[in-house]
Amino acid sequence: MSVFLSLSKLYVKSFYNLPGKKAPGSKATGKEIGKLVGVAALVVLVAGNLGYLFVVMNLNLYQGLAMVGMQGLLLLNAAVMATMLTLVVGFMTSLSTYYLNDMELQLLSMPIRPRALFGAKFVAVYVTEAALSMFFMVATMVVFGIKERPHPLFYAWGTLAGLLLPLPALAASYLIQIPLLTFARFLRNKKTIMIVGGVIGILFGLGLNIYFQRMMPPVADPAARAATFAGPGSAVSAMGRGYPPAMLAWRAMASPASASGLVAALMLLVACAAGPALVVLLLSGAYARSLVGFNEAHIRKLSKDGAEAFIARRLRRRRPFPTMVKREFDMMNREPMYLLNGPFIVVMLPLIMGIMYAVQKDALLADPDMAGVRALIDGGMGAALAGLVGAFMGSSTSIACTAVSRDAKALPFIKSLPIGPGAYLLAKLGHALIFGAVGSVVGVGLISLFLRLGAADALAGLAASLALSSLLNLAGLWLDTANPRLEWDNPIAAMKQNPNAVIMMLGAMGLLGGAGYLAFVWSMSAGEFALWFGLAPAAAFAALLAPFPRFGERRLAAMEG
Amino acid sequence: MIELSGITKTYAKSAVKAVDDLSVSVRDGEIFGFLGPNGAGKTTTIKALTGVLRPDAGSARIDGIDVAADPIAAKRRIGYVTDNPELFARLKAAEYLNFVGDVYGVSSADRRARTSEYATLFGIKDALGASIGSFSYGMKQKLLVTASLLHDPQNWVLDEPMVGLDPKAAFALKEIMRARAAAGKAVFFSTHVMEVAEKMCDRLAIVNKGRIVFTGTLAELKAMQGADGSLESLFLELVDDSAEESA
Ligand SMILES: Nc1ncnc2c1ncn2[C@@H]1O[C@H](COP(=O)(O)OP(=O)(O)OP(=O)(O)O)[C@@H](O)[C@H]1O
Ligand SMILES: [Mg+2]
Repeated sequence: MSVFLSLSKLYVKSFYNLPGKKAPGSKATGKEIGKLVGVAALVVLVAGNLGYLFVVMNLNLYQGLAMVGMQGLLLLNAAVMATMLTLVVGFMTSLSTYYLNDMELQLLSMPIRPRALFGAKFVAVYVTEAALSMFFMVATMVVFGIKERPHPLFYAWGTLAGLLLPLPALAASYLIQIPLLTFARFLRNKKTIMIVGGVIGILFGLGLNIYFQRMMPPVADPAARAATFAGPGSAVSAMGRGYPPAMLAWRAMASPASASGLVAALMLLVACAAGPALVVLLLSGAYARSLVGFNEAHIRKLSKDGAEAFIARRLRRRRPFPTMVKREFDMMNREPMYLLNGPFIVVMLPLIMGIMYAVQKDALLADPDMAGVRALIDGGMGAALAGLVGAFMGSSTSIACTAVSRDAKALPFIKSLPIGPGAYLLAKLGHALIFGAVGSVVGVGLISLFLRLGAADALAGLAASLALSSLLNLAGLWLDTANPRLEWDNPIAAMKQNPNAVIMMLGAMGLLGGAGYLAFVWSMSAGEFALWFGLAPAAAFAALLAPFPRFGERRLAAMEG
Repeated sequence: MIELSGITKTYAKSAVKAVDDLSVSVRDGEIFGFLGPNGAGKTTTIKALTGVLRPDAGSARIDGIDVAADPIAAKRRIGYVTDNPELFARLKAAEYLNFVGDVYGVSSADRRARTSEYATLFGIKDALGASIGSFSYGMKQKLLVTASLLHDPQNWVLDEPMVGLDPKAAFALKEIMRARAAAGKAVFFSTHVMEVAEKMCDRLAIVNKGRIVFTGTLAELKAMQGADGSLESLFLELVDDSAEESA
């Protein structure tokens, strides 16, 4: 196998933490097969949800555009969306994986050409991008295919476009990042990159929100809405026209069986291959050089007297439990990938929502057409909404449902310490609950501001939010204790490729959606909502908490570190 | 005092016994070496006695306390240096020491005095404010050793402690081991280097494929006579698999 191929395989494996080959002779046990089936079902479920969302979005857009006879623009929209989606996700992914870990320094010591090294990295990041882009294209192709019955070549060009469109976007990301990280030494640091990446993420989220706000004024007419969103005068169309690959993809799909369609497809191929080829050709050397220095840390050496003073000042006794909770905080917040994927959500979502609020003012609810909605909100739905959003934010940090997995490497040492497994797990729960409370306060507060809720409604929402998020966090911790992901090379795997995080995200959506539905159909008042969705989850929390330490003790004892 | 009796452990993911009916006891006031080739089961044994692993059979007693029956009390009496110093990279050295100190309930005054003493001895005092991730391998090892002594444990258990230490630090470590034994404390360490065991141990056990092939004093071992009279060749003979199978 060529160096490039085996490196690509290595990167893909360590990115996505694929299991290695089974040792010869060992048979898959029933439990393993069950696990595999479960994970597969989960993947199908998530993909199905997302796919459904994309299809519905495309369908709405199609119906609107078809009314004014411009359904062809759906394809341009798809090309632009695929590009934008992959540009942003690609930028974040390539940045956060720019320097994966010290494994890369070892690779640098091997006789590997920089081109193979960088090319392999590019391929590994591209895999996610292609999947994302294809997902969107397929959703569009399904809608357009059923409605318009295009020539079979349409699907070929659509697939080609889906696979090709992420390439220039990714090349552009590296075109920015490689020079940046070559010249700005201070950026060559995981922490700095984390902050930069986070800020970019927030800005993107804001941009997207403002964009949708502007594009989708609250009008009832679907044709007018579709036209403002994707019609000839819209930003999407303008962007598509100005960006050749999107334009080419559109042309190829719009007239698939014609010569001009074929020419467009070929030009698309050339246009999209050019970017990565150039970047790999010209910047591979710079990329490899810029990897050096990533693991350097700023060391503050103490002087002789300084060290004594430091010891006297810093070494101080605390009670064991708070110390363990503090360790949980440090472990989470000092690992860039964890911080971005976890607690950051509590900061990022509110910021986005805050800006949405600022952009929107009270245009929405001041509208006389909205009087019914206002009444509904004041009748208890406002409290319910605040409570559910707060609970979601308080439980979507993935702190609890990855807590044991993230600690896999330290487990043997932890188990040698004179602390009970129960206390150890409760420290993890404490950490999650603190964030749960922060998320609840922020979420409830924002919704209360947004919907102009009174204090009583807000408090009712907060009570339910605290109870619901605590229950979800405990359930998540229970899940990760029962079935942690203990074997990984890359800390990302413990969080992002942890089935427990996905299960909990879906579970939270299900539980909270169900709660919202019940609150609505039973038209609960704020007080009733607080009573039902405060007390029931609180009771469930207590019922789960009581046997948890013993359960955890057994589970931890069974883990072979 | 550490008493292991009949410890047996098979990892869930493996078919062979990593440790097989292993019994060893380490008395107070002695340095006990645990010698064996790679994969012999040293780390597994140490994990069983520190309560990290639950053995399939057998028991471990620390100062008479059964690790399975009262793990917390037993663990309090152990200072443990793991074979993997690559932990807690995100913590600063002082934070790590505070964490360990708090968990073992060490008073502020004691932890300051001991940190100062051992960090000076190992020459890592100036780095206490730095993140462990920025430490060299040997520095991490020295920090682990320092942390393991914060609570002045009755039983000191070290898994491959010499690996990665420079001669000066290795010497310092040996001095500490001797001083502790002289003060009536038990020291138990694993190694795969005969020379280290030879210089340090009052008694030693040689383990191979999970089983003890020799326990006794150095003099008793020497009496067995290797091929060329050296302990090194004797050790190699004892752990030679082909010889064992034909026996
Ligand atoms: N987590 C684990 N899962 C499965 N098998 C393991 C695990 N850890 C160790 N083993 C197996 O147990 C046996 C003993 O390993 P152990 O780590 O105790 O050896 P060791 O004597 O400490 O070796 P070394 O000198 O290399 O440190 C080996 O065969 C090893 O493959
Ligand atoms: Mg070992």
